[in-house]
Amino acid sequence: MIKCVIWDLDNTLLAGTYLESPDQRLCADPDAARALAELAGRGILHAIASRNPPEAAACAATLTGHAFAAARLGWGKKSAAVAGILGELGLSAGEAAFVDDDPLERGEVGRALPEVLVLAPEDLAEAIGWPEFSPPVITPEARRRGDMYASRRVRQEEAAAFGGSADEFLRYCRTEVRIAEATEADLPRLHELSFRTHQFNSVGVPVGAEIFARLAGGPQGPSRVVTVRLSDKFGDDGLVGGCVITVSGGTWHVPLLMMSCRALGRGVIGALLAWIRRAASLADASEVVVTCVITDRNVPLRIALTGAGFRADMAAKITLPDWAQSGEHARVAAYHAAPGQPELPHWVVEVP
Amino acid sequence: MERSATGGAGQGGAVLADLKLMLADITSDDAALTAAPDTPLLRDGLGLDSLGGALLLVRVRAEFGVDVADEDLNLDCLASIGTLAAFVADRMAGRCR
Repeated sequence: MIKCVIWDLDNTLLAGTYLESPDQRLCADPDAARALAELAGRGILHAIASRNPPEAAACAATLTGHAFAAARLGWGKKSAAVAGILGELGLSAGEAAFVDDDPLERGEVGRALPEVLVLAPEDLAEAIGWPEFSPPVITPEARRRGDMYASRRVRQEEAAAFGGSADEFLRYCRTEVRIAEATEADLPRLHELSFRTHQFNSVGVPVGAEIFARLAGGPQGPSRVVTVRLSDKFGDDGLVGGCVITVSGGTWHVPLLMMSCRALGRGVIGALLAWIRRAASLADASEVVVTCVITDRNVPLRIALTGAGFRADMAAKITLPDWAQSGEHARVAAYHAAPGQPELPHWVVEVP
Repeated sequence: MERSATGGAGQGGAVLADLKLMLADITSDDAALTAAPDTPLLRDGLGLDSLGGALLLVRVRAEFGVDVADEDLNLDCLASIGTLAAFVADRMAGRCR
């Protein structure tokens, strides 16, 4: 699934070249602008990689009427600009498309980052009909994604200038993590998170809204679905994560844990894991077990799990629920932790 | 964690120096170049977050051919620069035997 389109400017997103247009009297290429608007409406981000002076990004934003999530302008390699944008937005190469009219630039990016979908401007009209560009559901969170990444950029600039620790910065931003039982209104977004998240997803298969509806049994039920919302003084990111918890024989099993990479570095995954251990302890559980399918892509989740005090083993016989099975042979690890009362950061709000 | 002495100071030292260069690049901070081997990689040490840690392991696999994430389920070797260097040097030495 493509989450971000990275655009060249001259003769791609712009009809003409920025530096050669008198008084920068330019307009956006109408076909490209139409594709950009259509994709933005599907919750796909846009970014700029261009060999132009930095002010060309603001010009492109004015001409297209779109806020770009990231922009790299300068004379370096295009592949370095694309890699920089991926790092800044927390995306992997397979989640990005790169559009450039210059075949040499397309070749350079394609060789350096083979997972990036490389397109010529004339491919766009057809490409926007491809499944890679067509998320099955589009939630309000998805439509606001461009704005959220724009506030993320402001947040990162303030973080870079901030003198204190990461925790102090979260406090300074008035970070609020709200943990609550899922309601019916959350089901489409939970389904969306299940297929859009990869780096922080413990199973890596799409889970239907009807499955979440069936599992959402409330705090006393045999299974429950917990949601995590995030906001701070820069903006409201809405529902950014969730988990499924089932209880059997005194053990809290977590067969699904997922978080949007948009929430990375903002204390969310640590807060959720601490909350799970604490809630299990308050319910007199004897153990918490998070099952995690071992993939190349969810290494960040595994780092977060071990950082939160979980230890893995492969020896335990683990059966994934039907809805979590991909059909392929998967390596599954069980991450164990004792229930405990780790102190929740003060910015976590539990909604009863 | 399993360790053998076969990594050798020479190879371990070279791996350590390469890791520091990668870390300085990923963190955009030259502090990694002069950090002691027992400096923690994550959070309060060199300040890598979980995504930065994952990025480092991708670079380690490309550079040294050692798939740390696949071999070390608990990722204990991310404890410090030194533990990661030792793990990588150990696996490389194992291949040469």
